[in-house]
Amino acid sequence: MTDTTNIVDRIAMGLSAALFTLGIVVLGIVELLDGAPFGASPTTNDAGEIVATPLVDPNIRTGLVIAGLLVLALWGLYKVVTPYADEAATRRETAATE
Amino acid sequence: MATNTANPLANEFELELDKPLTAYWIAILRVLTGWWFFHAGVTKLIEDGLAFSYGPAYMQQMTGTALGPIPVWMGNNLAWAIAPGVPLFETLIGLALIAGALTRLAALGGVFFMVLFWVGNAGFGHGLVNSDLMGLLLFMTVLVLGAGRYYGLDAIIEKTKLVEQNPKLRYILG
Repeated sequence: MTDTTNIVDRIAMGLSAALFTLGIVVLGIVELLDGAPFGASPTTNDAGEIVATPLVDPNIRTGLVIAGLLVLALWGLYKVVTPYADEAATRRETAATE
Repeated sequence: MATNTANPLANEFELELDKPLTAYWIAILRVLTGWWFFHAGVTKLIEDGLAFSYGPAYMQQMTGTALGPIPVWMGNNLAWAIAPGVPLFETLIGLALIAGALTRLAALGGVFFMVLFWVGNAGFGHGLVNSDLMGLLLFMTVLVLGAGRYYGLDAIIEKTKLVEQNPKLRYILG
């Protein structure tokens, strides 16, 4: 299989994967190691009072995932505004023959 | 029939997207995800028409999330667009996915909706991975795979002269 990715593609994929994994898996393991309760949001009793809070603020974890999605969105915009590899090669050939 | 000794499953079960099993499953994934959103949207249209007032109210209560003040600001200032937009766009996103037309653009809309639902519902009692995040991942999968090319209208649309002359349209088709 031919690898057609460039450095920007590799950074976008690597960074977004790192952000997703950090937010969901790595900090999920941290929560596990912190002990019960294992959920990612504050635990309340029947009266609605908070009786336990997660070690990591869920906003930090969801924020990391959203940051990963934003990286992918920016990557998509980059792909839209930059020429195709084929297109760029054709332009170079055209310029060379003129 | 030639046998691929390196991978005996290469004919039907190779994980290349145009192989029978993967193409079939990508199409199923796309259509069912589309039906999910179409049903959510069209039932709102039937019950509330284009005046889905719960939409802005839902966003106004999204305080203290990772999205900061953005959803609350939207709920306060864009209610005129959100009330008709939620049922309308849910329905259109669903229809687009079912038909496999403008699939990537529609799936991008679905991702936007699911980020708001995931963060807004904040159903994290059993961890961050819940049904809202799974919905988000479904839309991302449809988008990344260009699922409309498999038994969808985008397979036909992408062969038109318009798309051949403007290949970047594939970023919103497929």
